[in-house]
Amino acid sequence: MSEGYATENALVQEESDLYDRGLDAAIALTVVSFVLGMITLVKVVGLATSGGALTNFFVTLLAVVIGGVGVVGVFSWAGVIDITSQRVRGIALGGIVDLVVLTALVTVLDVTLATVLGLLLVAQAAIVALAGLASRFELVDTAPNMSAGLLAGGAFGALGLLVGAAVGGTLVGFDSMLWILVALAVGAGLLILTILPREDVGSTLPTALLVGLLGLVVATATIGVGWEWNPNALSGGFTGGAVIPTFVLFGSLLSNWAAAKCRAGFGAPGRQYGAFFVINLNAFMMVSVMATIVVFVTVKGIGYAFHGFTIGAPAALVVLLPLLVLAVNWARKPAGTDAWRTGARQLVRVLPLALVGSLAAVVASVSIRGSALTYPFTYTVQVNRQPKVLDTGISVTPDPTVGALLLTFSALLLFAYFGRAYGTLRGVGRDPSWVDTVKQGVALSVAAMAVLTVVFAVLSPSPFGLPLGGTVGLVVVVLGAVVAGGLSVAAVATPLRGGAGTSLGEGLHDYAQTVVIGLSGALALLTAVVFLEPTAGVNPSVGPADLVPIVALLTAVASVGVSVSAGHARRSAAELRRRVLGEEAVFGLATAAGALALLGVHVAATGANFTVVGLTVGTKGSFSWPMTMQSYVPLGAEPGGILPAIVGTVWLVVGATLFAVPLGVGAAVFLTEYAEQGAFTSLVEIATNALWSTPSVVFGLFGAAFLIPRLGGDRSLLAGMLVLGFMLLPLVLITSREAILAVPDEYRDASAALGVTKWETIRSVVLPAAMPGVITGVILGVGRIAGETAPLILVLGSTLNSSEPIAVLDGFTFTAAPPFVGNPALLAETASLPTQIWAVIAAGVSGSPSMGWATAFILLMVVLAFYAVGIVSRTFFRRKLNYE
Amino acid sequence: MLERVPATARKTILGDDSEDGSLLVVAIAGLTLVATILTFLFTPAYALPMLAVFVAVTAVGWVTYQAEIARLLTLVATVSTVLTVGFITAFLFSSAFPAFVEHGLGLLIIPEGQWFFGLDAVLPVDESYWNPSNDVYSLLPMMWATVIVTVIAIAVAGPLGLFGALFISEVASDRMREFIKPGVEILAGIPSIVYGFIGFQVLNGFIQTSFLDEGASFLIAGIVVGIMALPTVVSVGEDSLSSVPSSMKDGSVAIGATQWQTMKSISIPAAFSGISAAIILGIGRAVGETMAVAAIMAAGVGLANPLFDVFDASATLTSLIATQYGSASESTIDVLFVAGVILFVIVGTMSVASQYIEQQMKKKLKGQQ
Repeated sequence: MSEGYATENALVQEESDLYDRGLDAAIALTVVSFVLGMITLVKVVGLATSGGALTNFFVTLLAVVIGGVGVVGVFSWAGVIDITSQRVRGIALGGIVDLVVLTALVTVLDVTLATVLGLLLVAQAAIVALAGLASRFELVDTAPNMSAGLLAGGAFGALGLLVGAAVGGTLVGFDSMLWILVALAVGAGLLILTILPREDVGSTLPTALLVGLLGLVVATATIGVGWEWNPNALSGGFTGGAVIPTFVLFGSLLSNWAAAKCRAGFGAPGRQYGAFFVINLNAFMMVSVMATIVVFVTVKGIGYAFHGFTIGAPAALVVLLPLLVLAVNWARKPAGTDAWRTGARQLVRVLPLALVGSLAAVVASVSIRGSALTYPFTYTVQVNRQPKVLDTGISVTPDPTVGALLLTFSALLLFAYFGRAYGTLRGVGRDPSWVDTVKQGVALSVAAMAVLTVVFAVLSPSPFGLPLGGTVGLVVVVLGAVVAGGLSVAAVATPLRGGAGTSLGEGLHDYAQTVVIGLSGALALLTAVVFLEPTAGVNPSVGPADLVPIVALLTAVASVGVSVSAGHARRSAAELRRRVLGEEAVFGLATAAGALALLGVHVAATGANFTVVGLTVGTKGSFSWPMTMQSYVPLGAEPGGILPAIVGTVWLVVGATLFAVPLGVGAAVFLTEYAEQGAFTSLVEIATNALWSTPSVVFGLFGAAFLIPRLGGDRSLLAGMLVLGFMLLPLVLITSREAILAVPDEYRDASAALGVTKWETIRSVVLPAAMPGVITGVILGVGRIAGETAPLILVLGSTLNSSEPIAVLDGFTFTAAPPFVGNPALLAETASLPTQIWAVIAAGVSGSPSMGWATAFILLMVVLAFYAVGIVSRTFFRRKLNYE
Repeated sequence: MLERVPATARKTILGDDSEDGSLLVVAIAGLTLVATILTFLFTPAYALPMLAVFVAVTAVGWVTYQAEIARLLTLVATVSTVLTVGFITAFLFSSAFPAFVEHGLGLLIIPEGQWFFGLDAVLPVDESYWNPSNDVYSLLPMMWATVIVTVIAIAVAGPLGLFGALFISEVASDRMREFIKPGVEILAGIPSIVYGFIGFQVLNGFIQTSFLDEGASFLIAGIVVGIMALPTVVSVGEDSLSSVPSSMKDGSVAIGATQWQTMKSISIPAAFSGISAAIILGIGRAVGETMAVAAIMAAGVGLANPLFDVFDASATLTSLIATQYGSASESTIDVLFVAGVILFVIVGTMSVASQYIEQQMKKKLKGQQ
């Protein structure tokens, strides 16, 4: 009857009979009621819902299921995905049938959701009992064991004790001891009923009895929506609102298990199917809890967190650029061989790209139309202990300014990406004799400019009263910029001009060396110039515009020109040349990104805005995110943001990392490379484990007792850094040790065989090989300590609504008395993200919940980002290590 | 015997084959470091200049005898890890000592009129049990609160965690595992203050409507702490389940057992000690959890009455420290350190025990025992 092992293979498919179909529907029913239990437990839908609202709810649920099953069904019918298992098909169809019936029922009958849930349980009990009896009387072909087993018996016995106690307590009262007898009787009864009969009866009848009882109690409103039990002894009590969903969750889990057992025909396969359903439902519940937490915090906090979020359209385009490149990269991946699947996968591959494209078009339309695009919403702030709703919105404005930092950041990302993608063009095409001369010339001038930069930086632009910066510096900057411009023009012009009768592809191929030396030389010179400018205090200009950014732009344009023409020529080139041209295109993109980054650095360093064709690269961009870029504004129209807390957390993390990483990695190196296993290493292991498991608040106590008296006697940022560093230490040590141990011994042996000393081997073989693992460990550890609160309350304090970010870099002072160097900022209290949330809690009614949610949201995002990066990099490096 | 000590020490610090003259540099570097630590302990103002001297000496050594100095530096890093634990222990105990001496058994006053396992014959009984102005401190209510919260938390995290571990290690497909395992890790990464804030803002309202309680309760705190301890239980349990050699499972499958039979009769029994280590570790996490408990239950202090009243609320050992430290007087702080010592000892013992169990299991599975 049941198809045995037919889960994936179409060959052993078999038609299901009524028994199978019915049980599939029953399993679907238990899953539905399990989900309903979760929904009602968190009160998304009230138990007292009835009438039209209830019908609406079930219609929605029906739509969800039909949609889900329908989509899968369509793709399965089209042959894109394989759903051959009769069980999966049965459960899906059963789910639809169940919900149609349910929806019809709640439309016809006037009942509350609680009653429906009760009836659901009763129905499940009935089906399970019927299935068990059908199997017992050999109406269907099953293979039950002699008994349901001691494990199930014990579980039912324990359940029986509980239920018996509850029933007995209700019937005769807890005052007389009779309830114990009832409990024992019920428990023993269920135990016997489970163990003695054959498995089909033993695992269905007790289930049916228990679930049926729960269902009846709920359906008859013995425990209804308004039910309350408030025992005198306890300070709280139970209400129907909490008890009914618990009953439903528990009952449906139980009948799910029993129905799954029946469906697979009892015996070993039945137990397997039943157990797996319970395990899967449990995993589903865990995942939903996790998702709920993250989604809930996001929903609560995102509005406040993005109040007043504004970005100019060009700036938004700059942000979209790296995303565009990522999407293109994703779309380039091969999509398989099978025609149908290729179609579906290609759709998935190009979707992100299309999305980025549409976003970019929308953003660009803002620039063209000249009016802002705004998504308005409201958020709540706390004014005088009263919530007050404010209007705000996220908007994309036509502001043509792009912030220099934003541009630099975006361009550097692209530069890194294309730089990694670029291989080499060495030995391609002609090798003119002057290439080496140019190379040496560029290297010499860069070195000279670097020396000048250092001189000006150390001695000031006008050393000994001589205005060297204004004269020598100016001349060098102008010369460097002009030569860079010349190089980039040469790089693009030479191959395009080519020779008579040569195609574009041939030109680019033959003059590849010119392209490489021209563009990279221009980039190198520009880099040196950009750093020389601010130290010499000059910014030469041609007419109204500055010289250096013009050259940078020119280089970028030239690079894009090379890239585009190489890409164009590549379409009609032969295999080998295609590769060369591809490399050249990537190289051009990399230098273009580099030149744009230098443009941004120039604007940021000199402070002079640069405008071209209506677009401005400015020191102050059009990007504004008040939540993360502003401090708290007391008594302002808008509340401002939590910049001080973010800055505080950043400094805490930086300090802790600086403290813990060298120590942790050093200790890991000693333990794995130098130390012999013995008393000392096991002592260290015990110490590490003790550190790892010590409750965080104890670290706080230690910091308060040990660090604070030695660091100025007051709560301070430095103490917070050190305490978090102590907490980070074991995490770094353990992961680094694992990473170093994972380096194969062959590496060490090969190095030793070459006559390399031990330390040299560690430095140049072991550590580089272990570095990815170490970095991953550090990232994960940092993610963990970034959200640490308890120790910070003790050693850092908790500041609410701080209005000034801490300035650590500007805070260094030198004194004649020990300790000679001081930094008041390091020794002062500051805000941090976790302590800010605690401050909101501690402030009670005067704390603003919406601000707390927003802070929690940002903290969660920061921590999750650390974890995501750490996990992704670990997976990446692990794969790399395994493939090698 | 004794004359070998300098040689052994020299070997530990310098390694087997060291260049001549390196001893001097390494010795100076080591001495300056010891001096730095000592100055930080006794005259912290001079620690920074001393550290600068150490850095300078090390820099010189790095140029002249890099290998030896590098070895010294890694040794220093190792020793400082051990020293940190030593300092934590020493400072916790020495700060708690005055309270131990002053109060003695007074730290375990049983509130009058309450049954506490018949221990009132041994322990002092008094009407006032927490009154900083009168110098009366009893940690008994907090210890009992910690017990209640931990029991509820483990009732949540134990079974769910076991099922979760089974799901990840035995049931889930490889692809599914790739998503779920990091997911569990991320769940472990959600900061406890975020849980606490959710509890503070939402769950406390929930319990008022659903459990007829005025506010915070052990029940809610315990459930939240259980969810927080869940990832620990899942990942340690999963580790031990996957460390069961596949040859054992394969053997079971080869004689025709289903996957569930293999799990029930091979994997779980073989990994039993690992799973119990996971649960012990989960208990340790639950005992040490601070912020969620502090945020959900306010700073009130009182013994649950009756003892099993899960709807009561009281600070636990951890949340007592977090909430009271800021405003505490000198003598209260000493008592808080006693709470810290108790936590340190309990959680440390549990951690060491679970590590020991795990090691024994791995040895056993590898056939070394």
